[in-house]
Amino acid sequence: MRLHFSMNTRRTFLAVAAGLVAASAAAFLAADSFAQSPAEVKVWIAFTDNRLDWARGKAEEFNKQFPQYKVTVEGYGNYEEIQQATDLAIQQKAAPSVVQWFEVGTQRARDFGYFKSIADALGNRTEVNGIPVNFDDFIEPVVSYYTLDGKFTSMPWNSSSPILYSNTAILKKAGIEKPPATWQELEAACQKIMALPDAPQGCVTWPNHGWFYEQWMAQQNALLANNDNGRAARATQVFLDSEPSIAIATWWKGMHDKGYYIYSGKQRDWAATEQAIQTGTVAMAITSSADAANITNAAKQNNIELVTTRMPYNADKGWTGNLIGGASLWLVKDLPKEVEEGALTFMLWLNNTENAAEWHQVTGYLPIRKSSVALLESKGWFKENPNFFTASDQINNSKVTPATRGALLGAFPEIRNVVTQTMEDLMVKGGDPAQAMAKANEEANRLLAEYNSLYQ
Amino acid sequence: MWGFIQVLVPLLAGLLGSLWVGSRFRRIERSMLLGAVLGGLAGGLGSLIFMVPLDFCTFEPERKAIDVAFGVGLVLVGMAIPLWPLLAWTQKEQERRLGLQRATPRERGIFKQWWLAWLLLLPTFTILVVFLYYPGLDTFRLSTLLTFVGAPRSRFVCVDNFTGLLTDATYLRSLGITFAISAAIVVLGLSGSLLIATLAYQPIRGAAIYRVLLIWPYAISPAVAGIIFFIMFNPLGGVANHLLGLVGIPRLNWLSDPNLAPWVVIFASVWKQMGYNILFYLAGLQNLPKDLLEAAAIDGAGAMRRFFAITLPLLSPITFFLVITNMTYAFFDIFGTIDLLTAGGPSGSTSVLIYEIYKIGVSSGNLGRAAAQSIVLFFIVVGLTILQFRTTERNVTYGG
Repeated sequence: MRLHFSMNTRRTFLAVAAGLVAASAAAFLAADSFAQSPAEVKVWIAFTDNRLDWARGKAEEFNKQFPQYKVTVEGYGNYEEIQQATDLAIQQKAAPSVVQWFEVGTQRARDFGYFKSIADALGNRTEVNGIPVNFDDFIEPVVSYYTLDGKFTSMPWNSSSPILYSNTAILKKAGIEKPPATWQELEAACQKIMALPDAPQGCVTWPNHGWFYEQWMAQQNALLANNDNGRAARATQVFLDSEPSIAIATWWKGMHDKGYYIYSGKQRDWAATEQAIQTGTVAMAITSSADAANITNAAKQNNIELVTTRMPYNADKGWTGNLIGGASLWLVKDLPKEVEEGALTFMLWLNNTENAAEWHQVTGYLPIRKSSVALLESKGWFKENPNFFTASDQINNSKVTPATRGALLGAFPEIRNVVTQTMEDLMVKGGDPAQAMAKANEEANRLLAEYNSLYQ
Repeated sequence: MWGFIQVLVPLLAGLLGSLWVGSRFRRIERSMLLGAVLGGLAGGLGSLIFMVPLDFCTFEPERKAIDVAFGVGLVLVGMAIPLWPLLAWTQKEQERRLGLQRATPRERGIFKQWWLAWLLLLPTFTILVVFLYYPGLDTFRLSTLLTFVGAPRSRFVCVDNFTGLLTDATYLRSLGITFAISAAIVVLGLSGSLLIATLAYQPIRGAAIYRVLLIWPYAISPAVAGIIFFIMFNPLGGVANHLLGLVGIPRLNWLSDPNLAPWVVIFASVWKQMGYNILFYLAGLQNLPKDLLEAAAIDGAGAMRRFFAITLPLLSPITFFLVITNMTYAFFDIFGTIDLLTAGGPSGSTSVLIYEIYKIGVSSGNLGRAAAQSIVLFFIVVGLTILQFRTTERNVTYGG
């Protein structure tokens, strides 16, 4: 009986195995014949929400317009995850064609050597598959951020800027006519608001994230690092102990100590800021323009009307400009020719006037083309949705200087952590801002030197 | 390249080993020469275990004193690995000769076909090698590199990742926090569990239901425990502040006050682990020999006296076991609770070693530093366990 059974299983096994071999051979042959048409372009982005759905929808549209290409979009949880996935994929020779990479990782992307610059891929063509290149149409702060060594390196896509969201009802109650434009005005407004008999729990909040600190450095036209923020040559020193930096820490800590600024107790806590402004827990909040759509709508459901204005600046130093945040699309190097063409075509198409405008409307990210801004204006979009205009207005009026172009630092993510930790310590445990920033600077310089020692 | 130091180190180590083992061999009246040769080989080769992979980098002229000291430590640890069993054997031989050894010839169950045993072990062994031993050994390699997650380049930095920890204020602070939080979890957890188990053991109506309910929290994952406590200790809507409010105590910022947050983590972790501890204590209480307690009661010992003089010592094997499991839990498993409750904050006050490793390795991507930290943590736990076996075992009564 047992023998019989095992004979049977063996036979079955052999048959199944033979079948599998045949099937996979057929599959290989089939795959080979399909490979002629269309060229597969794999795009990896760091979104898993409605932004991924939007990108997938666009890819489908693109595939219909350009049947010679097949673009597929895959979503990753966050920017760090996509960076690790890319590294693994390249080591295993299963690289995608286009990767979305966050702005502070720009120096890393350059050092890792995984990517080819857009300028190199284009050569001196002015159009690809009938899509005009026209870089002059991109707004300047965006182009300048992603221009390295005079070359247009990666394709901007999702760029944002921090803006001030204010609860109009509370401001009105406190007798404040227009939202504060400077640190000093913000502090004065908070004093009034917190003196109200039915004062909210806090006056203002923003996430304890390095991005806001960097914005205030840029506004004061202060460099974060030497060698023109690492753009003239590799940065070897950071300036966290500089006077404008200490000014930020002092003011921020002061706002917290007076009970005006509400700290959630957690670093990089974007959700707490959104929650606080949407529910009226605070009167004002500073956060990314990328959330303009979500925040405005959620607040509306709570019967709260919000108005957005530019990010408050230090009146003592004046306003030079704000820098962009977000991510850009990078072209992986050593792709087969037709895949590279497909990737290039898709990136240009995704950023054409109509798509860039639609991307802005769906999310609140900056419309990165001048023609898109004009298109939106002609449709009356900004009149109907003034909250969406603020970030564009802020970025388009920014003066492009080495400080507002943004710093390139290999150890940028770690240095951001140093800044947020220092701010947290100052707020939670107290201390002298100048001393704390001097210590932070030492630590940041150590991290930078450590990273640089690998890539010099 | 074999320079001066590369010869000196194994030579010295060999000399030390041969002297030590040789003298031991003479004491047990074995060939001293054989002992000296064995000891010399063990010491000499042992000293190379760490030094060859490191290429004797700790003794390079430009190294700091701390690196040299660390290198000497590594040489000694390397020597101990082969010397220890050798010395232990001579010790045993001597005890046998003096008739000290408790000779308990045990029957050992063995497989008749040696290959069958290996075959049955193979699946487990494969999993262990691929998912445990290989990554474990690779951690040692990573700990000598300056390397970042996702970055293609890395550089050999000798033992800098380890020696750097000694001057890293954040790390040292985290070390202190870890010991404090772990001690609190073990002490509070065990005493609380024993108290509840003793109460639940009383013959009362519906005891079985109480016992089941008490064990429930153990089935919850640390992450869920984190969320539950996050909601309970929320400064605005949490039940903790509501209860305090009832007795007139003003709102406390449980999660953003660096003095309070560690206690919330401790409460959450103790609560989460309590079911497990109660289960073991209940089982232990049920197995206590009744005659001892009865005899004590007849002799006039009160309930307290009986508990401390009889129940507690008799439960010591279980307590000993629970101390070790709870300590391992406090060192490694409260990660999920901390991540959801405080994310190591406020201001690092709940950033225990395991969370620090995560912050360095995953958030900052510094793999080398994180690998060094995890090796240190590994040795801390191994060291504590050995220490406990040595000190506590003497006071543990395994029935009888």
